[in-house]
Amino acid sequence: MSEWPFLDIVVFLPLAGTLLIGLIPRARVGALRIGALAVTVVTFLLSLGILMNFDTGTADFQLGTSVEWIPEWGISYITGVDGVSLWMVMLTTFLMPLSVLASWSVERRAKPYFIFLLTLETGLLGVFVSLDLFLFYVFWEASLVPMYLLIGIWGYRNRVYAAMKFFLFTLVGSLLMLVAILFLYFSFPGSPTFNYQELLGTPLSLGTQRLLFLGFFASFAVKVPLVPLHTWLPDAHTEAPTAGSVMLAAVLLKLGAYGLIRFAIPLFPDAARELVPLVMTLAIIGIVYGAAVAIVQRDMKRLIAYSSIAHLGFIVLGVFVGSIQGMSGGILQMLNHGLSTGALFMLFGALYERRHTRRIADYGGVARSAPVLAGVFLFVALSSLGLPGLNGFVGEFLVLLGTFFRYRWWVVPAAFGIILAAIYLLWAYKRVFHGPITNDANLRIPDLRPREMVMLAPILVLIAFIGVYPKPFLDRIEPSAQKVVDQLRDSSALPEAAVGDADAP
Amino acid sequence: MPLDIPAVRLTGIAPEIALCATALLLLVIDAVLGERRNRWYLPALASIGLGLSIYFATEAWGTTRLELSGMVAVDGFASFVKITLAVFGLLTVWLGRDFLVRERAEEGEFYGLVLFAVAGMMLMAGAADLIVVFLALETFSLALYVLVGFRRRSLLSQESSMKYFLLGSFSTAFFLLGIAFVYGAVGSTNLYGGEDGPGIVSSFMATGASDVGLLILAMGLLIVGLGFKVAAVPFHMWTPDAYQGAPSPVTGFMAAGSKIAGFAALLRLLDVTLYPLREDWRPLVIGVAVLTMVVGSVLAVVQEDVKRLLAYSSIAHAGFVFTGLIAANDRGVSGSLFYLATYGITVLGAFAVVAVLSGRDDEKVTLRDYRGLFYDRPLLAGALTLFLLSLAGVPVTSGFVAKLVVFGAAIQEGYWWLAVVGMVTSAIAAFFYLKVLVVMYMQEKETEDAERVRSGPLSTGVIGLAALATIVLGLYWGPLIDVAERATLFFAGG
Amino acid sequence: MTDVPPGYFLALAGLMFTIGVIGVLVRRNAIVLFMFIELMLNAVNLVFVTFARMKGNIDGQVLVFFVLVVAAAEVVVGLAIIMLIARRRASANVDDVRLLKW
Repeated sequence: MSEWPFLDIVVFLPLAGTLLIGLIPRARVGALRIGALAVTVVTFLLSLGILMNFDTGTADFQLGTSVEWIPEWGISYITGVDGVSLWMVMLTTFLMPLSVLASWSVERRAKPYFIFLLTLETGLLGVFVSLDLFLFYVFWEASLVPMYLLIGIWGYRNRVYAAMKFFLFTLVGSLLMLVAILFLYFSFPGSPTFNYQELLGTPLSLGTQRLLFLGFFASFAVKVPLVPLHTWLPDAHTEAPTAGSVMLAAVLLKLGAYGLIRFAIPLFPDAARELVPLVMTLAIIGIVYGAAVAIVQRDMKRLIAYSSIAHLGFIVLGVFVGSIQGMSGGILQMLNHGLSTGALFMLFGALYERRHTRRIADYGGVARSAPVLAGVFLFVALSSLGLPGLNGFVGEFLVLLGTFFRYRWWVVPAAFGIILAAIYLLWAYKRVFHGPITNDANLRIPDLRPREMVMLAPILVLIAFIGVYPKPFLDRIEPSAQKVVDQLRDSSALPEAAVGDADAP
Repeated sequence: MPLDIPAVRLTGIAPEIALCATALLLLVIDAVLGERRNRWYLPALASIGLGLSIYFATEAWGTTRLELSGMVAVDGFASFVKITLAVFGLLTVWLGRDFLVRERAEEGEFYGLVLFAVAGMMLMAGAADLIVVFLALETFSLALYVLVGFRRRSLLSQESSMKYFLLGSFSTAFFLLGIAFVYGAVGSTNLYGGEDGPGIVSSFMATGASDVGLLILAMGLLIVGLGFKVAAVPFHMWTPDAYQGAPSPVTGFMAAGSKIAGFAALLRLLDVTLYPLREDWRPLVIGVAVLTMVVGSVLAVVQEDVKRLLAYSSIAHAGFVFTGLIAANDRGVSGSLFYLATYGITVLGAFAVVAVLSGRDDEKVTLRDYRGLFYDRPLLAGALTLFLLSLAGVPVTSGFVAKLVVFGAAIQEGYWWLAVVGMVTSAIAAFFYLKVLVVMYMQEKETEDAERVRSGPLSTGVIGLAALATIVLGLYWGPLIDVAERATLFFAGG
Repeated sequence: MTDVPPGYFLALAGLMFTIGVIGVLVRRNAIVLFMFIELMLNAVNLVFVTFARMKGNIDGQVLVFFVLVVAAAEVVVGLAIIMLIARRRASANVDDVRLLKW
């Protein structure tokens, strides 16, 4: 164990970095970029300290601090990571410098841009490490404002509408969660506290649990997003600037799934168990619906956005299926989706900078002028659709395996979703990079620049690495995943598909 | 027969006396020294008066007794509200100074009226008899009617003053009829009762339930009168107009001050005196609260004028405070106090920004005038953003904590659905706060202004203080909530 | 002469108050509006006096003095405000007040 509170430093370093950015005059765009890059890179390097000090053998929370904040109300500053949040923290710190690189072309109002981006990083990291419901809620909401501004100021034409929709959808959900948090707070028998680990044991009747679960679920389902609540996502993804899309897809969406794993299930296990069929149905609908709608999209960013809905459906399916394979696969898939979809948005962002159009029909034959770009895109697309040997396969396979053990027939629509994924991604790839050149501008598209290579290379390496050797990742996930699975299955009152309780993958 | 004149103790109304004396002195000094270019001594004197009243209110902290034949209560609750009001008064005077210099308006009268208004509001907090509530209400209302019309060149200002006045007197008549009915039902208008006569509740208990109908009718009428002052729906019609017409510093003061004064009286009346009858008044107040939250939030969405927008927002906030009042438990009362104090500071800050930006004649107050503000005046826009987020109830601001505590109180009392209504309306309300952000951050400025607005040193100070308070109380509110909790040890009397 | 029962006074006060309310709602001249409000206040005064008689204590009669004083103060401020506008617009009709939405 380290003496250093790595975790807390990592969380607040970006926020402190905004002060540095604030000191740079707004005309010096170059210095602003370098400053933001430096802050995020240092944050990432420090976060490696978390990874190295992480103890694989336990499901407990590690490396955190606990300080009283408002003792009158039982509010404390409690942080810590476990196998679920570890990779989310790493994903965030890892993608942030790359997002800064992807924002190199932001010339207009660069200073507030980087300030908001760094604030966003602190907000997101805070959500993943908070172990006090109050603290969690503060970060949860606080991450909303910078994202709202990023979309609204630097987005595309419909940015204001998209930003508003994003903010309000999330806000309505989170306010319902706030009521549930307060209700839980007052139901706690001991001295009032927001401490997550203490609240875990709160005795609640099933009816109350159900209501509170729905309160939390409302908030997380919007963020995931599950299908009836997803409409903000295509707009927000499409209109956001590249770095915004990357952070949205890679990290923000994970907040929802993370919240389900961390809070909704452990706090209200009975209600969660009871509502498994409902959640799984929504997840399956998301998988099929997202994929089907993605096929017919004409706008590349919308296509990627709908693909996210399908992927997140997979994650939720894995989480709620109630087996260790499903849970670990779901958590790993959160990481995978962050990498591959993040990369897709970066690649398309690069393409957009060259051609300034999002319509798929405007492209065609791009591979001729930009072969490297095309190759990288294909690689990432294959990862996203789950080609064996790449990361997406590992996660999706585990989820399907977990599902198969418990609910055999649910695998069918889920697998159908994978087939659809192959269709929309490969078809989009074909229409953009191959085929006849309909527009002469496509002939003069420059290939990837060195900066873009630097930005993409780490992701590509990780995609391949997880695909071939996922063990180090799964090792760290599994103890914590097992704990949540146990909570979800507790009295095994489920309609058990008696086949597999095989705990070893 | 020897005339026995009882010794009169004035600790209870010392803050009010200090203010009234200072106000009179101000008027005299202004008249004696006459027209001068820089009349810095006037705001200085007003500040001293407010400081004195804070001192006297602090002195009274910790005691609980009735004074002046049971007419005035001296307790932590009154002290808390009085100190808060004096702080609002200080901010208003400083903010008003820049405004008055810019508009070349009469300074002495302005400060005098502000001090009288603060004195009236303070009396509301300490009033232990309905007739004192009435007098206090009229004292601060009359001062406010004039302050609203203080933009002498603006017809808008005077018309809103007239409208405020007419509707205000109209609602006062209902309030008065309420007092008369209380008197008719129980034969007393005293909230506590004591050696000088029985109070409302003890008389009520003595007479039995015979006149309960009259008493409930009276309660309804009293709620109408006080609901008017705190801008509760359906007695809110004056709010948008008065807010729009009044000079921006006055608008901030009205929003902050008359809200806390009105709620102070409501809290003492409903949560203390009529606590035994809470099941009778709750349905009525719940109805008002829900209406207020919904109407305030929904109507704000369509506003194009920043001051009108903040007016509807202030209506919605009255509804949120009502949830704390309805809970009627310790957390509800202390939460309402906390809410009113932090809301007041935030809203004064917001109107300070509005006042600075509104320019000459206080006229640039539509959303169009705020386009691209962030790129023009990043600090002002940042401060306004902070205030708006606090009003919207986003974490890390005092507004979030305030919402948390009043909704928490409602949930604790079993009114979780009321909290849900509050949350949903907060989300609607967030829409129009965001609308202002959209204008400030996401739209381009239309024309280059010839003259750049200048923020006077005092206004800058007020904005800075308010911003600091908003964020500090959002991060570390323990001490203030602690004080608010101790302030709820009412004088129970009887 | 027989005593008039207190109920009659209350009825009269109720009538006066109602006339006042209706007047405020239907009339548009600011000064007339203001007069109706005064009528309402006086109705309340009558209620106070009647109840004082019924309850057998003089609190109600004392309250009337407060109301009278306050009403006088209201007149001072109110008429000044109305006159200010009337001078500028040459009309005291509240419907002419069009700058603000009702």
